[in-house]
Amino acid sequence: MTQDDPIGGQEALQPLAQEALRGLLRTWMEFERKLAKVPVLRRLDTGTFSQSDYQRLLFNLRAQVVEGARWITRAASSFDRDHAEVRSIVISHAKDEHRDYEILEQDYVRAGGELEAIQAGQRNIGSEALAAFLMHRASQPNPVDMLGAMFIIEGLGEKMAASWAERICELTGLPEEATTFLRYHGENDENHMERFYVMLDTVATSPERVAAIQKTAKVVARLYALQLEELDNV
Amino acid sequence: MSVYITQTGSYLPGDPVDNERIETVLGFVHDKPSKLKRRILKSNGIQTRHYAIDAAQETQVQNEEMAVAAGQLALERSGLEPQDIGLLSVATSQGDYVLPGFGSQVQAGLEIPRVELVTTHGICSCAMMALKAAVNGVKVGDQQQALVVSSELSSRLLKKQRYEAAIGSIGAQRGLDFNAEFLRWMLSDGAGAIVLSDRPRANQLSFRVDWIRSFSHADSFPVCMSVGHSGKGEDAPKSWQDYSTYGEAEADGALLIRQDVRLLENIVKLGVDGFLGLIEEGTVVVDEIDHFLCHYSSHYFRGKIVEMLTKAGAMVPEERWFTNLYDKGNTGCAAMFIMIDEFFQSGRAKPGETIFCHVPESGRFNTVYMQLTCVEGT
Repeated sequence: MTQDDPIGGQEALQPLAQEALRGLLRTWMEFERKLAKVPVLRRLDTGTFSQSDYQRLLFNLRAQVVEGARWITRAASSFDRDHAEVRSIVISHAKDEHRDYEILEQDYVRAGGELEAIQAGQRNIGSEALAAFLMHRASQPNPVDMLGAMFIIEGLGEKMAASWAERICELTGLPEEATTFLRYHGENDENHMERFYVMLDTVATSPERVAAIQKTAKVVARLYALQLEELDNV
Repeated sequence: MSVYITQTGSYLPGDPVDNERIETVLGFVHDKPSKLKRRILKSNGIQTRHYAIDAAQETQVQNEEMAVAAGQLALERSGLEPQDIGLLSVATSQGDYVLPGFGSQVQAGLEIPRVELVTTHGICSCAMMALKAAVNGVKVGDQQQALVVSSELSSRLLKKQRYEAAIGSIGAQRGLDFNAEFLRWMLSDGAGAIVLSDRPRANQLSFRVDWIRSFSHADSFPVCMSVGHSGKGEDAPKSWQDYSTYGEAEADGALLIRQDVRLLENIVKLGVDGFLGLIEEGTVVVDEIDHFLCHYSSHYFRGKIVEMLTKAGAMVPEERWFTNLYDKGNTGCAAMFIMIDEFFQSGRAKPGETIFCHVPESGRFNTVYMQLTCVEGT
């Protein structure tokens, strides 16, 4: 299986990868239920989300987006030559996203924030935990469990685009151009999912690996939610 | 002890109403045709449905009368007399009266003496709650035979007068609020009934109830489908009963049936989540499902989620899906029983085959799953 030969849309993965994907889907859906209870996101559902909520959201997301580029590249360098296929995919993934935080900063300014302020922002305590965990796992030899992290973070990209961006504009009156970061993730997503299926099919080769992928997904989901619960808590 | 579905029945009021005729029955709100109708019908795929109201929006048959008719048909088909029924379990989202419980009215109509009575209240999933209560009643040996009935008369909520009276509702100036109009093109009327027994029918097919499981997620999400709130946010009266008069509640739109369409996608995901959970614990084996009866049309399961389920080996192939949603309509809590009735009577299931039923409810996100096995009695 190569990157040029992606798994077709209607074809099932190999059995252990199927099990891993089912587990990831369940972790994702539990994560969505958790997110629905996070106050700032609950306000999106109940229609009380304000422009200052949006600024705080971007402000607090930035640290993780900056770190994102680092842990993906670190993960890539931790794969040995027996995992060259996966490494290539992770590298191209990293290249796509490693300057995303600049887009986020522009949105922050368009939403009425000051560039200097967001650039000087510190990680909140949830972001600290998330960044530390991701760097730790990415530094292990052949960190196949990072697929669990990628699944959660990719899923979030899609969710931001599909259900946050438009709703934020609707509730705050901000123009579409102020939500570029959120929207941009949805556009890239389809390609990323195809690559993801290829990787999962390749690396989910033992029950231990399936369990590790699942566990990392769970930890990342919990810490991501923590980051959104602990807005401005630095 | 095993419990068996030994007969079924249903009742659909009046003639089928096709898509072109919906508004001649429900009425043209402010004499204007709907701009949304076509779009919503295209997405739900329903072709015909039945209404208990006529073209003058007058009720022709009461909800309890539909329930009684469905129950009577199931009893007749099974050769049982009313006194043979030890437990009557009845579901609806809205009875003809606010009080007493709907089950009391249905019992009276069916003339079942001295029966143990259950009434469940909710939306689509409450029929499955009624069914599970009855299954358990038979399983523990309290009863030998039970009758379970679910019935809905939604058209009274959907007729034009309801919308025209909501002069102060959200969007009333512009026409209709999308969330308040959405269900007008989804819901319709009907009733279904199931007879349960502690033994299968002799020399005929029955469906053994293997299990019924449900997972509710009201703790995670706001209300998605409701009657009783104006949808105007936290400053509005919390309930229709908090207005000085019921007239004010109606004018404010608090009695309109509303769906928060933005939240609706969650029900598909939660349905999938429950299904994957049952696979994980070994309760469901996808390849062993011979017939899949789903309260939602396959139209809703498309795109990415289908791709993921297929990749994950958890998609039931479309040729195993059975539905009558497209010609019987979405009759809320009655729909699954009406579907089971048609499926049971069709003789489609062969002995040994597995039938899997799923009812997702968007009200505040409840998901119910049931597995049946077709058995031949001796």
